[in-house]
Amino acid sequence: MKIKPRKTPYSLTGRLLWTIGALMAVVSTIFWYFLITYQEKELIANFVKYGMSFVDNVRKTTRYGMLTFQEILIQQTVEAVGSTEGVVQIKIFNCKGKVAHSSQKKDIGIILDSKSPACLACHPPDKSHTFTPRWSIGKSEEGFRVLNIVQPIYNEPACYTSACHVHPKNRKILGLVEANLSLALLDRAINQQSLAITIYVFVFLSVISVVLCAILWKFVSTPVSILAEGMKRVAAGDLEHKVEINTRDEMGELAKCFNSMTSDLSRAKTELIEWGHTLERKVEEKTEAIKKAQEQLIQSEKLASLGRMAAGVAHEINNPLTGVVTFGHLLLKKFPEGSEERQDIEVIIEQANRCSNIIKGLLGFSRATSAEKGGENINTLLKRSLDIMSHKADFFDVKFITRLDESLPLVKAGGLQLQQVFLNMILNAVDAMDGKGTLTISTRNIMENGLAFAEIEFADTGCGISEENMTKIFEPFFTTKPVGKGTGLGLAVSYGIIKDHGGNIIVKSEVGRGASFYIRIPIG
Amino acid sequence: MDTGKILVIDDEDIVRMSCQRILAPEGYEVKTTKSAVEGFKLLGEECFDVVLTDLKMPDIDGIEVLRRVKEEWPDIEIIMITGYQTINTAVQAIKLGAFDYIEKPFTPDSILSAIGKAVEQRKEKKQDKGR
Repeated sequence: MKIKPRKTPYSLTGRLLWTIGALMAVVSTIFWYFLITYQEKELIANFVKYGMSFVDNVRKTTRYGMLTFQEILIQQTVEAVGSTEGVVQIKIFNCKGKVAHSSQKKDIGIILDSKSPACLACHPPDKSHTFTPRWSIGKSEEGFRVLNIVQPIYNEPACYTSACHVHPKNRKILGLVEANLSLALLDRAINQQSLAITIYVFVFLSVISVVLCAILWKFVSTPVSILAEGMKRVAAGDLEHKVEINTRDEMGELAKCFNSMTSDLSRAKTELIEWGHTLERKVEEKTEAIKKAQEQLIQSEKLASLGRMAAGVAHEINNPLTGVVTFGHLLLKKFPEGSEERQDIEVIIEQANRCSNIIKGLLGFSRATSAEKGGENINTLLKRSLDIMSHKADFFDVKFITRLDESLPLVKAGGLQLQQVFLNMILNAVDAMDGKGTLTISTRNIMENGLAFAEIEFADTGCGISEENMTKIFEPFFTTKPVGKGTGLGLAVSYGIIKDHGGNIIVKSEVGRGASFYIRIPIG
Repeated sequence: MDTGKILVIDDEDIVRMSCQRILAPEGYEVKTTKSAVEGFKLLGEECFDVVLTDLKMPDIDGIEVLRRVKEEWPDIEIIMITGYQTINTAVQAIKLGAFDYIEKPFTPDSILSAIGKAVEQRKEKKQDKGR
């Protein structure tokens, strides 16, 4: 992006330009004024010198005419000289103040009043005659400036000794020569010069301004603007932005400092973001852990309350069942062996006993405290359980594989309870495989969260457990077996027992490929 | 016929009724009461051979009944009945001197067998004392 410096009178460049411009204008004006004045003075001084010699010439050329008293010759000479370019008028006064000769004939014979300023200049009222050649500048009727030069005609021996004897010897001055010379040419020259100087000053000022402007633009305004833009970008969050000023001056130094500051900031920001991510990840992990713990808590709380409920229900149902069983038996005695009534009553008693068995299962699940726990060998318990099971006809098609870790230490547990759990697991696995398949039972030592556990794995090749059933399998009365075959209490009871031992049951399953139950019992 | 005098303490009508119907035809003199307080009153008035008591009752529970009966009438045999059997309470009951422990729902035979044994033991004790 091309960066444009600001172009206002308040910008750095503007202010500098204004200040320097004003300063130069003032200095130039003063310089210009003094130059013009000096030049004019010099020119006029030169002109006066020239005028003096001119008038001297007039006097000298007319001298012969005067000595020989040839008035016509004088008049002719005056007229001839007076017609020269730049000569306005030449007059010759006699000692009485009368115009004796003039380049303009109409003025001849005019007598100056002794009180006129021309006379008073040499004849002040105190009678001190101090006449010397003098000059003054006035204005002509046509509007141009005129140099007026007056020179005296001194009395000389030739004058008072000549044949005409017009002048007495004691007179010092015999008359005056006055010449009015036009300054028009000079003035034109001065004006032209002034104009030239003025133009020069303006050109000089402009060039200086342009050069200054360019320098300021290149070395100050542009880098400052680039820096400002960079700061804006960094402030807006673009910490990757780098200021491109590669000069060796202060601006380059500033840009270098700025860039290093930006990269420091960027690094700090990246670190902060990383910390943020780490924190987020940790929070997520913790949240996940808390969620998991909460789910487990809910699950175990659910099972516990279900257990309490089951216990309550069992207790309540046992009383009416007692009545049914008792009176069934009492009734039984009233009918002879083999009678139809007796058979019916036996059905009633049998069904009441089935209810009783269900309740016993429920109570097993809800049992909060269990038998005294002694040191039990898990491997032995497993072998015993398998012995009981493998003799049943239902299990003839099931292949049992055992991988028992003989280094497994004794665990503090209720042996009969653990055996019940193992039997439940084996029964469930065989049911899940529909009586055909492989059940692998392994034991091993594991460490979890710094605690030692004995792990017993029951891996079957059965139908597996669906995702939706995974959370329900430990609930009492949950069963996928046909009505009348399972009570849905086996896993619930097993879960209760293992929890009571401070352990845990974990299930992993793939639908169609089997399920694995991991029972963990703490060691020590 | 003096086969024995039995006191049944249970808050459930059907349980009391069942015991009555099982024991009475066998010649036992049966008294039933629905609370431990009433049971203690009867125990103070009459002489019983065996007490059948429920374990869980609203006012005083079976363990407490067992303890007090064993304190005041140590010769009387006590059989616990409960629908809420746990091994711990069974162990506790036997430690405290209960004669037997019957689970609900019980069959007439199990009650009769337990009562029969208890009465026999009671009689043996009486004979020992009489000697």
